Amino acid sequence: MVPLARLTEGRGRRPTGIAALDGLLGGGWPRGALTELYGRRSSGRTAIVRAALAAALAGGEAAALIDAGGTLDARALPRTGAPLWIRCAPDQALKAADLVIAAGGFGLVALDLCDAQLRIPDAAWMRLRHAARAQGTTVLVTVPHSRLRSFAAAAIELDGAASFLTGGVPLFSSLDVRAQARRAARDDAPLTDEPRPSCVSLAFTCRS
Amino acid sequence: MRLACVHVPQLALQAALRRSPEAREQPAALLAVTAATSSKSSRGRGVFRVVEMNADAQRAGVRPGMTGAQAAAAAPGLRLLRATDADGEAGAAALADVGFAFAPRVERDGERIYFAIEDLGRLYPHEAAVAQAIQAHAARLGFGARVAISSTRGTARVAARAHPVAVVPAAPEDARAFLAPLPVTLLTDDEELRAAFRRWGTRTAGAIARLPPRAVALRLGPAGDAVARLARAEDDEPFLPLPPPDALEEAIQLDYPIAELEPLSFVLRGLVDRALERLAGRSLACAELTLRLTLDPRGLDVRTIPIAAPTREAKPLIELARLDLARRPPEAPVVGLHVIALPARVRATQLDILRPTGPAPNRLAVTLARLAALVGPENVGAPAAVDSWREETIAVKPYTAAAATAAADAGQLSLSLRRRRPPEEIEVLMGRDGPTALRGTETTARVLIAAGPYRLSGEWWQDNATGGSWAREYWDVHASDGAVYRLHRDARDGRFYLDGYYD
Repeated sequence: MVPLARLTEGRGRRPTGIAALDGLLGGGWPRGALTELYGRRSSGRTAIVRAALAAALAGGEAAALIDAGGTLDARALPRTGAPLWIRCAPDQALKAADLVIAAGGFGLVALDLCDAQLRIPDAAWMRLRHAARAQGTTVLVTVPHSRLRSFAAAAIELDGAASFLTGGVPLFSSLDVRAQARRAARDDAPLTDEPRPSCVSLAFTCRS
Repeated sequence: MRLACVHVPQLALQAALRRSPEAREQPAALLAVTAATSSKSSRGRGVFRVVEMNADAQRAGVRPGMTGAQAAAAAPGLRLLRATDADGEAGAAALADVGFAFAPRVERDGERIYFAIEDLGRLYPHEAAVAQAIQAHAARLGFGARVAISSTRGTARVAARAHPVAVVPAAPEDARAFLAPLPVTLLTDDEELRAAFRRWGTRTAGAIARLPPRAVALRLGPAGDAVARLARAEDDEPFLPLPPPDALEEAIQLDYPIAELEPLSFVLRGLVDRALERLAGRSLACAELTLRLTLDPRGLDVRTIPIAAPTREAKPLIELARLDLARRPPEAPVVGLHVIALPARVRATQLDILRPTGPAPNRLAVTLARLAALVGPENVGAPAAVDSWREETIAVKPYTAAAATAAADAGQLSLSLRRRRPPEEIEVLMGRDGPTALRGTETTARVLIAAGPYRLSGEWWQDNATGGSWAREYWDVHASDGAVYRLHRDARDGRFYLDGYYD
């Protein structure tokens, strides 16, 4: 006999590539919806997006990164494959996201607006949400402050604290990130008796 | 061997009507330049005169040799089309494609093509059905064709002239009986031979077949002997088929130059539609599209449009061509357009039941082209590391939605650096142990902890004048705004630059 929780596990969800974050979101990123990741600089937004891209590529899905500003570091490329990378100005990012999602077949589209200083009208988010729902694409939007409000099915606030090894010459070692779920779609979450945490801690080490 | 002959009467007119299909239902005539005349009005130049016309125009009184004005006066509503080399070449190639839809090798002979049909017996119940299928396919490509099937090339040609659809029996005596009632004018175009047979009182093929062969050869020579053998269904005309050309071409010569994208796209659509129809007839798809634009007043613009996967859909091809034309408009108005399609077989792809399908190749190609038009082609693709000690370098490769490698990323969560390209020059206040404060366009902060310096240099073998060699001191600094920045001091000029921040 298969438990019901097992049958419904992961339905409508996509693994984040980080087990703790999967627990926080109830199985992973919601499919066919927008998810907002926001926080200040050095709060781990880019590292989480990179893990999500690597997980999607490892699962055999096509993934795209719309990089407003062209900030991708060559050393941070996923080892499981190459996403579609679009370097663009901030005001072109939403149009590029629309085109990529409309092409169909992309499981994950990451829209990196971490350093973008622009006002995006609600209609643009609404259009993006509609396109994501139509194609079943997970759209991750990284922004410095919460902007998507109810357009995002899930929103995670991130805060990071840098750790330096200070015995002798200081050495930057890791970033400890606190991820807090501000909004989470619960309609299709797996049926488990375990309480879902509202906040998790993640430690990202410095590879360089 | 059974041969099919496809005869398209007035091929030049029908080729011109392929670009104006709406004119098929009305009187239409083809104008071509005739030899120069010495009249004052023409001033030694060639004059456009009617060379071919359809049945409606003929009924209305249009005759060969009329000028355009005379023909228009004779038949109100007459559609006058000018003969161009582009139409002629494309029409002849399209006629050959009628044959290639049914046979791997085809012989081309002016308004006719010949090909073997022996292999089609398993697909069609009888030869009449084969002939009708050939005629229907010719109609799809824009030709009103006459089709005949026979055992010899000559009898097939004569039967195609005599009947819209004809099947000449295989047995020689039956074939002779089939040809017997046909007039001599269908056997030969040689006026001297026709006159000779008329003088002898032989007006049909059957009458010629009854003449003594040696006597005919003695009096009329080899040409007359050939006609007599044809009348007896004993012709030995050689059948010389050839394989199809490597590429398929459709072309149009415009009456006036086009300088804007929209009308050019409209013309392009017609050409691509016709090319794809021809490819579909051969069970092929388009793997690459080449546009050859003839510019006004002179010049050529040749561009190749790569296609992600062979396709028979016109929409992505037109879209890709439009985007390419929008990105690199022709330098001058266009007066001629050639579309060269590279044929390829469509290979069925076995999808993986356990893996997502990914984007469709043709939609992906169109999307990539649109993205390239939006942000520039150098900004769309797959990121790739560059073999360099410079940390900020990154390359863009063409993107393909290939299956991912099985190797998973390391389980350890690692940080990413958000790079500034190019690095931003900033002001840094240096203390005894390193940076103590920094100020840039978006950042002004005290430094809480500074880790470094890490010295890196490279490319010293390059010429300094070109900015080749470099030497830097890198620092990771934890600033009072909470961010961890990576910055460097250029050892050559002592200036500080912000490389980005960890995130």
